[in-house]
Amino acid sequence: MGLGKFLVKRTLQGLFVIWGVVTVVFLLRHLTPGNPVNTLLPPEASQEQRELFAERLGLNDPVHIQYYDYLVGVAQGDFGVSMATGRPASELILIRLPATIELAVAATVVAVVIAIPLGVISARRRHEPSDYGATIFSLVGISTPNFWLGVMLIIFVAVQFGPLPTGGRGPSFVDAMIATLTQGQFRDGGIVEWGRYILLPAITLGTYFTALLTRLTRSGMVDEIGKAYVKATRAKGLPETLVLYKHVLRNTLIPIITVLGLQLGTLIGGAVITEEVFAWPGLGRFLIHSIYQRDWVLIQGTIIVIGVGFVIVNIVVDALYVYLNPKVDLE
Amino acid sequence: MISDRIRRSVRSELHSSRLAQVGLALVVVIVLMATLAPFIVPHHPEAQQVGTGDTEDRTNLPPIGFSTEHIQTTPDGQTEIVREGSLEHPMGTNTRGQDVFSRFVYGARVSLLVGLLGAGIATVLGVPYGLAAGYFGGRTDDALMRGADVMLAFPSLVLAIALVGVFRDSGFHTTGLPDPFVYAARHDILGWVIPRSDHVASMPSSVTFPVTVTLVVALVNWVWFARVARGEAISIRQQEYVKAAKSIGASHLTILRQHVLPNSLTPIIVLATIQVAAIILLESALSYLGFSGTTLTWGQDIARGQSDQRSQWWIATMPGLGIVFAVIGVNLIGDWLRDALDPSIEGEGGV
Amino acid sequence: MSDEELLRIEGLCTRFFTENGQVNAVENLDLTIDEGEVMGIVGESGSGKSVTALSLIDLVESPGRITDGRIWFRAPDIADELIESGADDEVTDGDFVDLRKLSEEQRRSLRGSRFSTIFQDPMSSFNPSITVGEQIAEAVEVQRRARANPRSLDAKAQRYGLGDYVLSTVLPSKKYVTGASRDRAVELLELVGIPDPVERADEYPHEYSGGMLQRAMIAQALAGEPEVLVADEPTTALDVTIQAQILDLLSKLQAETGMTILLITHNLGVIARMCDRVGVMYAGEIVERGTLEDVFDHPVHPYTRGLLGSVPDLEGAGGRLQPIPGNVPSLLDHEMPDRCYFADRCPKAMDECLEHPPAFDVEGSEYHTTKCYLATTEYTEEKALPDGYFDEAGRAADVGEEPSETETGIGTGTDSETETETEADSVQSDGGEPR
Repeated sequence: MGLGKFLVKRTLQGLFVIWGVVTVVFLLRHLTPGNPVNTLLPPEASQEQRELFAERLGLNDPVHIQYYDYLVGVAQGDFGVSMATGRPASELILIRLPATIELAVAATVVAVVIAIPLGVISARRRHEPSDYGATIFSLVGISTPNFWLGVMLIIFVAVQFGPLPTGGRGPSFVDAMIATLTQGQFRDGGIVEWGRYILLPAITLGTYFTALLTRLTRSGMVDEIGKAYVKATRAKGLPETLVLYKHVLRNTLIPIITVLGLQLGTLIGGAVITEEVFAWPGLGRFLIHSIYQRDWVLIQGTIIVIGVGFVIVNIVVDALYVYLNPKVDLE
Repeated sequence: MISDRIRRSVRSELHSSRLAQVGLALVVVIVLMATLAPFIVPHHPEAQQVGTGDTEDRTNLPPIGFSTEHIQTTPDGQTEIVREGSLEHPMGTNTRGQDVFSRFVYGARVSLLVGLLGAGIATVLGVPYGLAAGYFGGRTDDALMRGADVMLAFPSLVLAIALVGVFRDSGFHTTGLPDPFVYAARHDILGWVIPRSDHVASMPSSVTFPVTVTLVVALVNWVWFARVARGEAISIRQQEYVKAAKSIGASHLTILRQHVLPNSLTPIIVLATIQVAAIILLESALSYLGFSGTTLTWGQDIARGQSDQRSQWWIATMPGLGIVFAVIGVNLIGDWLRDALDPSIEGEGGV
Repeated sequence: MSDEELLRIEGLCTRFFTENGQVNAVENLDLTIDEGEVMGIVGESGSGKSVTALSLIDLVESPGRITDGRIWFRAPDIADELIESGADDEVTDGDFVDLRKLSEEQRRSLRGSRFSTIFQDPMSSFNPSITVGEQIAEAVEVQRRARANPRSLDAKAQRYGLGDYVLSTVLPSKKYVTGASRDRAVELLELVGIPDPVERADEYPHEYSGGMLQRAMIAQALAGEPEVLVADEPTTALDVTIQAQILDLLSKLQAETGMTILLITHNLGVIARMCDRVGVMYAGEIVERGTLEDVFDHPVHPYTRGLLGSVPDLEGAGGRLQPIPGNVPSLLDHEMPDRCYFADRCPKAMDECLEHPPAFDVEGSEYHTTKCYLATTEYTEEKALPDGYFDEAGRAADVGEEPSETETGIGTGTDSETETETEADSVQSDGGEPR
């Protein structure tokens, strides 16, 4: 079975999962106690207004018709119209997507750049102070709720030191890069401004992953470094950097990626709450505010988009896994 | 069900691992703190002390060992007000003059209750499901686990937020759990056992317990138990003693109960421990967002501390330390059991 | 075979510092190896022979450490360079340099170019997730870079850091292994007799058979045209029929290149087939050494005799395997008495043996030495120690110690030697010619 075929199979499975997500989301709305019409319309609305409103939302149709209509709509990228504002949900959701992706990627980069060298050093200097330091860091890191870490960073860092804002988002990464590269603009609207805004949220979201990755890298490296091929590779005279990173780390990545794939949910969940802490205008904050407002169309749409993103990232992780591990049985 | 060998291995790991001892100590302290809260706290956790003319203003006092100063403008001009932390409010007070330490102690109750009950319900839901899938295998397995995998496609916090959003309008969103110590003190039952009974009697008579949040955290985490139980059942199914039991005509239910369940217990116990930590984190996130319906929790106090004036750092810091210590403690116990029992399991961590 | 010395090991001690105590894996070992010869080291599991090899290439890992001794290696170019930079007699001796006095980076640069190694289990000695061709090409590349920079000890020019590696994932020009090295890897695969070398180079280790992979490892070892090839149990993990092919290949390559081979094995047949001279190891020291003829035809040490006695004689059908009684000795420092380490298993143990024997020259041959009093004294019944002498002494000393079955593993202290055969099994003759 080739990689292409494997990806097709995984995509089909992913579509099945997305269908499940859409179904669950649809059922959730119908399980909600209370008539949405009553929640959305002011109490003084007349009976006719209520019926008209229900008609417009398709609430009078039988459930299976509503379900079918909803599925068809979602397949065409139509999540319905926001109950509160009357604007198309897909439009509202999509404009918030880049901010979330940017934050998640930045956090992942922070985690990888810090955690992998830390884990490698920790594994090489086992039972030395640097190893104990890394172990304690990773224990505290995986035990710290990230919203609290965010609040702490705001209180103790952002409030104390001017340049880092306590919330909000600067220019988007793309805009900032364009401004920097074409106009040589670093501060206003440039990459530095982008960095000022994203630094604390990225640390907040990335810390749990840094800790987890450090832990996994360390234990994986410790197992791997004792294997016979490492000695054989050293015997060739290969520089130690290559022995560690090209040979040992590469094989350690296989179990790391398996666990990280399972932990993606945590990353996305963490992004939701990090956005809320830092008023970062992404999908997560949007979801929470939609729930506060009980705007079910937006809640459903956002959850589906998050589910789709989750499935896509999972397929990417699987492909990476296959790429790293030539022995993997694609069946 | 727990053999001597396992007991010995757990004990020897505790002796040799400093971290396991730290974890056990943390958890014991926090459990005692939560249970005996009415005896420990110096003040009623909800009692406000805002200056109204009749009462003294005791808001925003710093923790013991710290002091704050700020300028207050009054009709007579500007005066500098210096506030010193004191033993009366060891962790200071919040903007409403509530004692942060008392809230810290009471906050442990909700976190631990939700953590333990949530993990318990998730175990009860997930383990039989996974055991059945793994034991019967084939189509049953496919059907059961495909459904479970859809659950995994939801990030647990997102799913939890959505579910809480659904159920928070229901009548059972929260419930009051009466506090037996306070009840005893007020009704003078066993008065001689309860020290400081006047003080205890003045404490809150019940704890607001977030029912939906507990159910929701169990609902989003049961899949991990199903996966682990399934894996165990698959390997146990092929053991000789199971085949032997089948050959003498034991029913599936008997085999599951007498052979499969007892032999898959160790990884389930380890997973349950780790899940308690994950659920404590999840609960704190939900109450931070204001979805839990309770006000006396660590998460909710952090949210208040954030929105309150930021120079009062202790309001948000203290409850967060509570979460961190509780989760570190439980995680260390999880590591201890894992090292002693040595199962390899995967699972989603916390938030 | 020229008679010029290439390696001179003096008083080498390698110890492992384990939780159970100090393990003397290699104890005061002396050995010389001439240029172009095949030197064999034979011994049981846990006798320290693999650790000797690792000590030579400086790959003894924690908790192990070389604690004493000198490893003189003839390398006139390095010696000149060191003298130029002001090295004293401690570091150089004529054309010889003491490898232990070099810096870590200098020692690394000798690996592959002067010393290369073949390990026991080819399956676990290749990285499972990198193609065989790439792994061999790495070995070629190490040497290409070293040669491109003639001052071989100046390692800076060939340093390849983390930054370079990270860049290489995006910039092909930064890759460590170049195309030329990949081509050379294919040539090497062809040289060791692997069919379709171009295709096989792109395969992963799990796609090779054990014998093929061992050939690939030999190819990798040849990449740097080494002066010394350390072959640590090169055939142990292979089928009997494959073993003979691999040994043939090694002989052929040795004849073509004239390289020096240090062959480590527990298999006397392999020694008989390959070696010019042989050293017999027991409990971390060489108890007898000499030419093949000296050791095989005129053995002095009872341990050597025991080993030879436990080889099934394929020609004499009635011959019975003679196992050596007793257990592999503990190498824990506090359990090693100051006497001949073999005395407790020796059929000819006598009063003298209670004192540790020095190396005696054996008459009749230039190279033949042994650490046994039998080289100078006759064994007589009167001097014999009474039966059970060591049982009682041992019991007195062993109170509270762990059972000896765990000591084989502790004795080696490394993973490289994983054989767990019992005494009689550990010495076999298959794969080699009967003498």
